[in-house]
Amino acid sequence: MSRKMSVSSVILSCISAVLLGVSIFFPWWGMKFIAPQYPEGLDIIVYPYKMDGRIDIINGLNHYIGMQEFSEQTFPELSYLPYLVGGMALLILIVALVKRTRLLLLLVALFSVGGVLGLYDINRWLTTFGTNLDPKAPIQIDPFVPPILGENTLANFVTHSYFATGAFLMGASFLLLVMTLWRERKK
Amino acid sequence: MKKLVSAVSGVLAGFLAATVFFADFTNIGSQSSAEDSTNKSNAEKVYVPFGKLDEYYLFASGGHSGQMFIYGVPSMRHIRTVPVFSPDSATGYGFDKHSKELMGDYTWGDLHHPAFSETNGDYDGKWLFATDVGNSRAAVMDLKTFTTKDIINVPNTSGPHCAAFVTENTEYMFLPTRFAVPIGREYASLDDYSQKYRGVMSAVTFDEKTEKLNIAYQVALPPWSYDLSDAGKKMSKDWAVMTTYNTEEATTNLEINASQADRDYIILFNWKELEKMVADGKYENITGQKMIFPEKQKGGIYLVPVAKSPHGVDVTPDGTRFIASGKLAPSMTVFSFEKAFEAIKNKDFAGDRNGIPILKYESVMEREVNPENALGPLHTQFDDKGMAYTTMFISSEIVKWDPNTGETLDRVPVQYSPGHSVAAEGDTVSPDGKYIIALNKIAKDSYLSVGPSHPESMQLIDLSGDKMEVIQSAPVNPEPHYAQMIKADKLNPLKIYPKEENRPDSVWKQEDTRIERKGNEVHVYGVALRSKFIFDAKAERPDVIEVNEGDKVFIHLTNIDLDQDITHGFAINSYNLNMEVQPGQTNTLEFVADKAGTYPLYCTNFCSALHQEMTGYFLVKPKK
Repeated sequence: MSRKMSVSSVILSCISAVLLGVSIFFPWWGMKFIAPQYPEGLDIIVYPYKMDGRIDIINGLNHYIGMQEFSEQTFPELSYLPYLVGGMALLILIVALVKRTRLLLLLVALFSVGGVLGLYDINRWLTTFGTNLDPKAPIQIDPFVPPILGENTLANFVTHSYFATGAFLMGASFLLLVMTLWRERKK
Repeated sequence: MKKLVSAVSGVLAGFLAATVFFADFTNIGSQSSAEDSTNKSNAEKVYVPFGKLDEYYLFASGGHSGQMFIYGVPSMRHIRTVPVFSPDSATGYGFDKHSKELMGDYTWGDLHHPAFSETNGDYDGKWLFATDVGNSRAAVMDLKTFTTKDIINVPNTSGPHCAAFVTENTEYMFLPTRFAVPIGREYASLDDYSQKYRGVMSAVTFDEKTEKLNIAYQVALPPWSYDLSDAGKKMSKDWAVMTTYNTEEATTNLEINASQADRDYIILFNWKELEKMVADGKYENITGQKMIFPEKQKGGIYLVPVAKSPHGVDVTPDGTRFIASGKLAPSMTVFSFEKAFEAIKNKDFAGDRNGIPILKYESVMEREVNPENALGPLHTQFDDKGMAYTTMFISSEIVKWDPNTGETLDRVPVQYSPGHSVAAEGDTVSPDGKYIIALNKIAKDSYLSVGPSHPESMQLIDLSGDKMEVIQSAPVNPEPHYAQMIKADKLNPLKIYPKEENRPDSVWKQEDTRIERKGNEVHVYGVALRSKFIFDAKAERPDVIEVNEGDKVFIHLTNIDLDQDITHGFAINSYNLNMEVQPGQTNTLEFVADKAGTYPLYCTNFCSALHQEMTGYFLVKPKK
């Protein structure tokens, strides 16, 4: 297992690192709100370092159900996530350069843990916002947790949560890494 | 086998019986089916389903309503009314600070002829100009916001009916007057009409940056009535033409007395030359204006004799000809710019009138066009092939004819008595053809009755086939004079006002709202959002304004819902105040709290599910 990685494995790992690094600049996750009055939909688009979309309007509407306002400042993750992801990409690159198969295993493990933590984090926020509703809000609704992926209906809004380009790049990066590990194991 | 045969024949017999008894043969080949299919295809031509938009904007002048009506073509649906010269409580126009200042003390206007800004003789979709015959003003509307940006009072002029027309690159908008008055509108006996009265024309410029209208210079033309006008195009772009009546200089009973002379004049002038005269100091300073007196500062202005009391004069898209409509004479006269330039060059004049040289009719006229039994020609529009369409007020029709030959090509009756008509970009260097709309003065029984007062009528005519065909009719409030029709994709209106954080008096965060007192002035810097007003975030009741009787109150309100069509209104009950605040807009009410008491305030423009709760109080403490 502590053999050196093959040239093709090194190239694959490098591609994996680049994909992960590039993913920082693309949206990872989003939610689209569609209502009869908003057939064009209102978007929340999450990048590792910023949020885009029509946050002000969504906040304005959410206040009717007593949801807390959110903004980029609400999520401290946005300030360090790009460095975490960038650091991970750098680690992959370093492993590719030192060509240690055993380190490759460690990378995949780290990547998996990071991914699970990420999903947990999104779910935590969704739960926080969906369940901490102001009891004095004009419209009373039961606490709810929108899904990380898929459709949810709330009052006149149907929300669609989805993973976006950045997440797919990250996924591709992960798969490449697993593939590299698999190739090295067979040898 | 036998069973099968009887079963099949039974079914067939059933079908036959059903066909005989229930099928409808009544409209096979009948007249009504042909008519139905025509109507159906006409309906299809004008039907614009939800999700689709009209192909053209129609800007119809609102006449003595002082407003501008915006319609969609071909649906002929009324989309919006934009107030220009008259107050409008629906939009708070004439109530909020900016529009109140624009309106001055005027409470009505007579909006006549609208004109789009042009680049190279084509509509550029940026601005719309309009004139007020009632109170001698001119206005400019921004086509990004569909709001009036500036209004200018035009001195020395009374009723700029003969406007507005803009030059090829919107260098000038000229405003010739309908009524002659003494300079400065001072008192002068009508016995001195010919000596002391003048028909002053103004050259107005527009500064796009400051969004202000300005008078560059004026021309003290003879005391005649100036009726309609058009700017030259292409080869005639430095020139303009306008019709006159009452060259008799009658001072009473104009119906008779201004219809005596066989010929009146078309004024032909070179605005580049007038501009140069002003630059060279060839003018007099009078009432604060640079005034050219044609009998003293000579050049640039000529008279072309024309059949008596003409109405419209329209320049062909190629700019080579101008066509005068007879009104009282049953014909259109086609004049040649080229011939006119030649005559001017050769000084081929037949004397002068009031110091202005007169060109010879024969040397400028190209042909007289007299469609059989067509009466009362008023205005001419053009299509993409350069063909002319003239409205006939008296014979109630539109006549299509060829300016190159004078041949009548087609005629279509309209109901009833068209004044102007407007074709798709029909007064530009490149008309679109496709549609023309007759702006009829009389509707009579065209629509459901609303009593003795009638709407006016607009009829949409399809120009795409061999024959002109009326395909839609729409009532319209009094009263479109002229209109402009522009391809919808030339306009790019704002959906919301941009968030300009440095805009004076604007507030963008709830916590920045505040009420400041300076002596007896109270300045409110508030926000409106779904579904509340916040005037002072730190106050116990953020939606309450409390002042003392006699205070001067400034309420600056910013709509921070940056969402399309989330308009908020702001009214103070019993204080006769209401304004509109569009998404992202900051609007100001300025007034004196001269009535002590308790006045609820509320959002007047339905904004949200809790719009009814969007209220507060305006409390005025009585003087001790």
